[in-house]
Amino acid sequence: MELKIIHFYPDLMSLYGSYANVWVLQRYLEALGHTVTVEPVVPGEEKDLVGADLYYMGAGTERSQTAALTDLYRYGELLKDAAAAGAAMLFAGTALELLGASITSADGTERPGIGLASFTSVQGQKRIVGDVYGTTDLFPDAVVGFMNKCTLLHGVETPLLTGCALGFGNETEGGPEGFHWNNVLGSELTGPILVKNPRLLEKTAAAICLRRGADWPQEPPRWPFEEEGYAITAEQLRLRCRK
Amino acid sequence: MRKFLAILVCKLGRFVGKLVGKGSSMPGKAALKLCPDILRRIQLPQHIIAVTGSNGKTSTVEMIAAILRADGRTVVYNAEGANQTEGVTTALLTHATLGGKVRADVLLIESDERYAARSFRYFQPTEFVVTNLYRDQLTRNGHPEWVYDAILPAIHEDTALILNADDPLSSCFGRGRAHVKWFGLDRCPSDTDVPTGMYHDGAYCPVCKAPMTYAYVHFDHIGAYRCTQCGHARPATDYTATSLDLEEGRLTIDGDVDIHLAFRSIYNVYNILAAYAACRECGVAPGTAAGVINDYVLKNGRMQAFRLGSHHGVLLTSKHENSIAYNTNLRYIRSVKDPCTVLVIVDAVSRKYFTSETSWLWDIDFDLLDCPQVRRVVLAGRYCNDLAMRFSFTALPQERWSVQPDIRAAAADLASNGDEEVFVVTCFSDRDKLLDLPAVQKEAL
Repeated sequence: MELKIIHFYPDLMSLYGSYANVWVLQRYLEALGHTVTVEPVVPGEEKDLVGADLYYMGAGTERSQTAALTDLYRYGELLKDAAAAGAAMLFAGTALELLGASITSADGTERPGIGLASFTSVQGQKRIVGDVYGTTDLFPDAVVGFMNKCTLLHGVETPLLTGCALGFGNETEGGPEGFHWNNVLGSELTGPILVKNPRLLEKTAAAICLRRGADWPQEPPRWPFEEEGYAITAEQLRLRCRK
Repeated sequence: MRKFLAILVCKLGRFVGKLVGKGSSMPGKAALKLCPDILRRIQLPQHIIAVTGSNGKTSTVEMIAAILRADGRTVVYNAEGANQTEGVTTALLTHATLGGKVRADVLLIESDERYAARSFRYFQPTEFVVTNLYRDQLTRNGHPEWVYDAILPAIHEDTALILNADDPLSSCFGRGRAHVKWFGLDRCPSDTDVPTGMYHDGAYCPVCKAPMTYAYVHFDHIGAYRCTQCGHARPATDYTATSLDLEEGRLTIDGDVDIHLAFRSIYNVYNILAAYAACRECGVAPGTAAGVINDYVLKNGRMQAFRLGSHHGVLLTSKHENSIAYNTNLRYIRSVKDPCTVLVIVDAVSRKYFTSETSWLWDIDFDLLDCPQVRRVVLAGRYCNDLAMRFSFTALPQERWSVQPDIRAAAADLASNGDEEVFVVTCFSDRDKLLDLPAVQKEAL
């Protein structure tokens, strides 16, 4: 089956190795026998984005995020329709904030988001950084990652992580984190969240395949290094939780 | 009276501290308690040079000190750190008369970019060198623009800035300012036409976020940039590497100062330029500066030669969480002609704080090791699987790299196989885990 991934602003929103989510997902889908096209979107460039299987954006600086938002408005309705129709989306790091109702920057300027969700983002002068070990309803394994943001996310009704034994959530230490609705996944966990979390990669790939009516294998492909890397990080973070 | 007491307490505290081997921030802390504005009350040296930036601070400061001392100046020096105000206070008061006159010509400060604003609350540098602003330790620094915003309040309007013209972000400090001297590197044979590496921090203008274009690129996103919209562009330079031949190790500054490079890295060239510019601004003659920099071997231990079995090896300290530092060392390995093995160790991400964050591995251009002379790559340490995932996306075929979590076992395996040169790429947090092994004998460079 031919699958299409839209990668929004790969140079502008490129912090913390965000691109690796696209690479690892492409490899996964190809291992399932699909042909994958990755279509980058650059600010100002006209592109037909209708009918893609996954819409992706990674983390950027607050100034880059504003530039990305300014361009993303033109795709706002398309993304909302696609999300309602079950298209898969992953908005990682500061990209998540663009999906909400508004973003207020540290200087108090409020800008509307694309309004796919009703949450609001308020940025501040303090950087919230730290390892995260959280739980999700999607699968039994813990989610691991790193938080690197200056934002409190208010009013998320359907978070991706139900809670964090370690680390900062949307608006509190240890609280729920990210956003999940239909096949839209959003998390402020930065960088290659799909590399670090093999089960989340699996879920994302499954969402893409099942929506297109493709077969899902009894035993999905696994990469030993990714599994082992996850196990070690999870163990290190569990030890940290106990402290 | 309080000033006198504070100086006395600091001197005594430092004397006792030295006897018992304690750190240097406590005496300054005590002095600041007795007299909070002590740094305003003493007579500071004529030049206060601060050096900050993501990469090259320590090397630049070391060379500045060496040049100034060769010029006959007395230099008081303080290393970076969270307790910098206290550390600087200790350094100044121990060199002060009881009347409060610091017996030094220059105060030289390596300033942590996050603490610069706090450090310069009581006094301002006369010269402020910013080497660059790259992606560095993002687990605590956020991102380079965040660091830029943190440094900005530390720059006093009377301070003379010495800035890297080739870095699109840190050059923004000079926008609209009168006292700026620029250092940079002219077009050279190793340049590329477009930015290289895994990410393009020069793709968009740091001022207005419009696309930028490059006339040439020295490495990553460092070069001759120009914004297509607001005009932010590489400025004309005051101190310039006019000619550079890395293969021969020859550098010419301003057309007539010839320098031979002990370490043939473009990185080293920028540190030399920054140090040269700072010292020239303090009145040092070109010949004096060149005499020190020529064939200068850094003493800060970033490179360490060793022997392991029949192998000769060089450890290149790369700073985890810093892709430009890694890329620079990988590029150095790529420039070597003879067959070699590369050992990459990621065991503790930081020696100062805990984190399991490894996303920075994806910012490193490990494809630089895809060259004929690199015969094999060994990935070791606790996070070897994360390294392996990264390597599985490089062009290096899997038969050329292998994984060994245990550093000792990786060293033993190397010791019993072959006699080719070994390059070790790792960080301060992990280097001694190899260098302290009984099988490893350190050697002079």
